Amino acid sequence: MTTFAFYFFATLITLLFLVTVLSRNVLYAMTALAAGMVLISGLFFMLDAAFLGAVQLVVYVGAVMALYSFAMMFFDANKDIKERNGSAVTVFLLGGAIAVMLVVIFTAPLIGQGVASLYPPAEGATNPQAVGLVLFTKYLVPFEVAAVMLLVAMISGIILAGKKMDFSLSVVEATKSIDSKTIDNMDNTEKKGDK
Amino acid sequence: MSLEQFKNRNIGEQNYKMLDIEHRPEKSWDRFKQAFGRSIKIELFIGLAVTFGIMIRTLFRGETHTIRYPFEKIPISRRYRAIHEMKRLLESGNYRCIGCGLCEKICISKCIAMDTRYDENQRKEVSEYTINFGRCIFCGYCAEVCPELAIVHGDRYETASEQRASFALFEDMLTPIDKLKSQKEYPGFGAVSPNADDNIKKTPLAY
Amino acid sequence: METTMIHEVTWVGVAIKALIAMLIVSAVAGFGTYIERKVLAWMQRRPGPSHVGPFGLLQLAADGIKLFTKEDFIPQYSNRLIFSIAPVITAATAFIALAAVPIFPDFTFPEWIPLLGGVFVPSIAADIDVGLLFILGAMAAGLYGPLLAGMSQQNKWGIIGAARTAVQFLSYEVVTGLSMLAPIMLVGSLSLVDFNNYQTGGIASWMIWQQPLAFVLFLIAGFAETNRTPFDLLEHEAEIISGFVTEYSGLRWGLFFVGEYANMITIAVLASVIFMGGYSDFMLIPGWLMMGLKVTFFFFLMLWVRASWPHVRPDQLMWLSWKVLMPLALLNVVITGIVVMVTA
Repeated sequence: MTTFAFYFFATLITLLFLVTVLSRNVLYAMTALAAGMVLISGLFFMLDAAFLGAVQLVVYVGAVMALYSFAMMFFDANKDIKERNGSAVTVFLLGGAIAVMLVVIFTAPLIGQGVASLYPPAEGATNPQAVGLVLFTKYLVPFEVAAVMLLVAMISGIILAGKKMDFSLSVVEATKSIDSKTIDNMDNTEKKGDK
Repeated sequence: MSLEQFKNRNIGEQNYKMLDIEHRPEKSWDRFKQAFGRSIKIELFIGLAVTFGIMIRTLFRGETHTIRYPFEKIPISRRYRAIHEMKRLLESGNYRCIGCGLCEKICISKCIAMDTRYDENQRKEVSEYTINFGRCIFCGYCAEVCPELAIVHGDRYETASEQRASFALFEDMLTPIDKLKSQKEYPGFGAVSPNADDNIKKTPLAY
Repeated sequence: METTMIHEVTWVGVAIKALIAMLIVSAVAGFGTYIERKVLAWMQRRPGPSHVGPFGLLQLAADGIKLFTKEDFIPQYSNRLIFSIAPVITAATAFIALAAVPIFPDFTFPEWIPLLGGVFVPSIAADIDVGLLFILGAMAAGLYGPLLAGMSQQNKWGIIGAARTAVQFLSYEVVTGLSMLAPIMLVGSLSLVDFNNYQTGGIASWMIWQQPLAFVLFLIAGFAETNRTPFDLLEHEAEIISGFVTEYSGLRWGLFFVGEYANMITIAVLASVIFMGGYSDFMLIPGWLMMGLKVTFFFFLMLWVRASWPHVRPDQLMWLSWKVLMPLALLNVVITGIVVMVTA
């Protein structure tokens, strides 16, 4: 049963990510990506890692949703996108090489001596507790570093986006045809406004 | 009152209250206070209380504004101008129309067509009288001009019908002879007002 | 209390539970449209649907027949595949989320019932120990329905609806998570069964007295999550025709609303289990009835608010969520953390 479920999920995930890579339609690619992410959480649930599964669900649903909003801004979702490929052979070889390398990296230890968990979950702890114990003892430093990096990303994002927040493009457009005197007045009122 | 004055006259009571739109919080702390105050302010919950009260009143006291239209109808004004009716004389049962043709003449949408002839007593009688309701604009001039109060506006406002010619013939509009007893003197549009006698002088004999 | 008796959870029990939850929720979701129309009508001094059947009860059947027989329309330039699966996503995720929601207490079929006698039906179809996170994730995935629907239908109102879906999701999601975090810290578990068992001691033990702020924040976020009136930005008729459902008709349109009502019920159940004592018995009232009453109350509250309050703009929702609600939720989490640390 578990084997069957694994192959079912694995096939679906592979197919969906293939669609993500190969499709020229933004909508198909994004939808396949989202569906693949959701299905990966199925793999986690199968491994009894319910917490990771749920986190996968929550985090990637939000992340892909943000990607969607970018796709909405940049592309016409219902038209195919023209891709520019310099050399199909180079792309194929490079991509293939990276894929083979990744597979080798991850399967070598499996084939070699087998994998044992360095920090086996504490006895009697439920899934979230086990994750929490490991996260806040052994992996505390990486955890905090990741948190700080996220904070840095957030603050820089706010600064980048917030730079010209008081600058309204629509006001500039509207006043282009009017003489410069009115524009000065408009600018003054802009500054006095509710911003 | 000159035209200028007439245009500038004040209608109704002038107790408008100007909203303080100019006053907007400048600092973010003030804006936070405003938003917080607005969301906590009791007014939000008074709104909830009002709708709940209305629900109770609708449910248990039957205060609804709904008229279940095909089953109940609101009384319409006596001066409402719906499909025309032709009245009869209460004494003889004869129709009141004397074939003077004033209604045909005054009709601004030219929808009244009538034909008259002399009958065997050399009285004028209406041989043909139709109103094209596809064109009638229900202005009421015909009822107003009629000297005999013969053509009036009834209260039949549901005018959906299978053919265009429905209600249009003289016989359709005329009060049926067996309903003569229930014909009421028409008080509505074009009828003389109850105090009409006070408003006119007696015509001197010498005229 | 027969606590010593340990029941075996069989797949038959789980299947029956899933079936019961599915049937009840889809029936209530359908019936909810009738209730909504009635309650809104009363609050606006109207009688509401009253012609079909006694008190208009059969209006539901009439609506169903209408939806079934309507033309199933797919716009010419839309993306047909995505357009077709979008409503299914909404409805399916709404029911998937229900898998981890306890709706009624455990019960065992009496022995005299043939075939099913003695089968133990658990309170929850899948009692995974991260129930809350799972529900959040599944309900968040449900928002792909409106998003894909809006983007696939080649309609400017649809696109605006899709954009608003993203805006709304990015606004409320943080508040939902943070507002739930404080109760989770108190209970020390993500399983809704543990939440229920935490508050078995009558009204005084309800979470709402310990976490009033979290309760309010959760309700606000829940209204945004279920796309109900103060935050019904996705398909606000007065502004963007119907938003993401502009081009939909018939059963596909209906699926969106089955999903929406199922989500409303999920939020109502969550609010009652997390904050209001769940399905534990209350004096003489049995647990299942108590649960029904609470869910009914929250459902009614959603309709009540819809009849009373105006809705906000998308930027106002974002402003509210990020600048008011999120700091409040964080504050609540910090204070709860300190209290837990001191008392533990």
